[in-house]
Amino acid sequence: MKGSGVVVPSPAGRRAGTPPRLPVPRSPLPRLALLFLVVLAVAVADVVAGRAVTPAGVWEVLLGGGDALDRHVVLNLRVPRMLVALVAGACLAVAGLLLQSALRNPLAGPEVTGVTPGAVLGAVVATGFGLADRQSPLAVVIAACLGGLFGAGLLWVLTGRRRDDPTETAVHGVLVSAVLGGLTAMVLLVAPGELGSVVQWLIGTTDGRVWQHWNLLWPWALCWGIAAWLLAGPLTLLRCGEEQAAEAGLDTGRARGAALLCAVALAAGAVSTVGALGFVGLLVPHLALALFGADLRITVPGAALAGAAVVGGADALAQVGGRALAVLWDADRLTLPVGALTTALGAALLLVVVRRSPTRDF
Amino acid sequence: MGDTRGAVDGPGGTGTATAAQRGPTPEVSTAGRSGRPPGITVRDVAFGYPDRPVLRGVDLRVEPGELTALIGMNGCGKSTLLRVIAGLLRPERGSVQLGGEDLAGMSRREAARRVALLHQSAPPVPGMTVRQLVRQGRWAARGPLGMLRGGDDAAVTRALADAGVTGWAERPVDALSGGERQRVRLALALARDTRILLLDEPTTYLDLHHQLEVLGTVVRLREERDLTVVMVLHDLGHAARFAERIVALREGRVVADGAPREVVTPRLLADVLDVVGRVSVDPVGGWPVCHPDHPLNH
Repeated sequence: MKGSGVVVPSPAGRRAGTPPRLPVPRSPLPRLALLFLVVLAVAVADVVAGRAVTPAGVWEVLLGGGDALDRHVVLNLRVPRMLVALVAGACLAVAGLLLQSALRNPLAGPEVTGVTPGAVLGAVVATGFGLADRQSPLAVVIAACLGGLFGAGLLWVLTGRRRDDPTETAVHGVLVSAVLGGLTAMVLLVAPGELGSVVQWLIGTTDGRVWQHWNLLWPWALCWGIAAWLLAGPLTLLRCGEEQAAEAGLDTGRARGAALLCAVALAAGAVSTVGALGFVGLLVPHLALALFGADLRITVPGAALAGAAVVGGADALAQVGGRALAVLWDADRLTLPVGALTTALGAALLLVVVRRSPTRDF
Repeated sequence: MGDTRGAVDGPGGTGTATAAQRGPTPEVSTAGRSGRPPGITVRDVAFGYPDRPVLRGVDLRVEPGELTALIGMNGCGKSTLLRVIAGLLRPERGSVQLGGEDLAGMSRREAARRVALLHQSAPPVPGMTVRQLVRQGRWAARGPLGMLRGGDDAAVTRALADAGVTGWAERPVDALSGGERQRVRLALALARDTRILLLDEPTTYLDLHHQLEVLGTVVRLREERDLTVVMVLHDLGHAARFAERIVALREGRVVADGAPREVVTPRLLADVLDVVGRVSVDPVGGWPVCHPDHPLNH
């Protein structure tokens, strides 16, 4: 019954004359290795960049020599400060990537989803009302976590059914951040005595971060970092769209909840140690996605490295800049907080991101 | 029925022949694939949104290995019915069984291992390559944390080849045209390696050449992989040409059900699609051909 006139569909996969060629996927590992080298270079720069000890003196100390003061400055001040800066940057970047993926919103970052301002509020409240102090730094982390969850929860309730709209979330996020910032300011006014160093949290600084901070930060970051990497597979799928992910067999509600919790914990860990470093969690994920692509099992470690490089580099720059300002104004004690630098640079970069990302396609 | 089957076998047979020329297809474990594919039993299913009922008691039995086309006007509930069968929407009333197992008792992952649905549309993820996207279809087949398993790469490669998108595997999905994306979505559904395949308008965005190509692929894969296929088609001509059975929905109810040569009549055009037209028989293939004339005005 098949006559000569029957139109037979040609099988898929064959175009006339060009047999399908299997393209080889480009491996992201060289880029990861390169970024790791950048982080190492940034770490060295950050340790060298300070004021009191010359680069030669730092080298001498690292080789085991140097006088007692130099040894104290390098080993007890500069090295922990550098380590804290790197890990805090990694935490904020991964937190931002998790938030953006879970909410499918390129404008979501811990700063604009109420997480960071909430964490600052939690830390300030805990310190201001004497629930936590230098003797119990873990209490500050827990308080920051609860605050971060409160901030994110507030945004969740406020956006309601319109939370799928990235712009809607961003607008309400600014609102929530303003409210939480106002509450923080009120606490600062009510209980100013205890909170001399608290202003540093608001801007974000690595000044005076010592081994005590590091000892608390790294186990926290490691645990939640591993959790983040385990969530990378589900989140890659979730980025394909809610219904697509559910159709492929993912329990989307549970995956999103776990990712949000993990993001809040990472951001709170960073905030309670170095304060609210502006724009790192919002912008570094875009850098990581551009460098490493959409497979989050590669991009989550990539974002961690990129965040470490950005905050470590900003910290080194802030120290160099602070030294230059000190010379200019002849003010010996002047320091430039790293948070001021990331915020200033980030605000400029945000314009680029907003113009480049057509949000409806995300 | 015999003639219709013959027509359906046509493209399938040719497809198999060229598949051999294409060289060795990657080996994919066929363990657990013996026996007939599961059938689908839909019993008295109702579903709706607060202000709008969509399905009002659908009964449908799809036999194992059958190639069924769902037709109907916009908003008649075709896509909703596919979503209910895929377990994405929970019916308000009634039940769905896949191969005798009740869908309501399955987790998302268990359901996704049995049935794959090609969506009408899915937003492209910036920067995601075709291969990365198609690999997402392996989620349900993997362990709890989504670690890759041995057969995953083979299943992905085979799905890319079957959908004819191998050449674009490393291109970002958002750089593809609408028609190209549609074939990538077919690859995504095929990568699932399920025995039940649901296709929601698989020919959308495609030109006639690629419409026939995709439908030919579906017919061929149904034979090769021994699948139960239900697809929503807007083109009644395609449904009559490629499906073994046509189920017509109107306002959330099944209004016609049978082999194309039995149900594709001027009466069907008027009752189901609100179209006045004629139906003839293809002089060579023997399948019904529709000649729509003008919309029916009540």
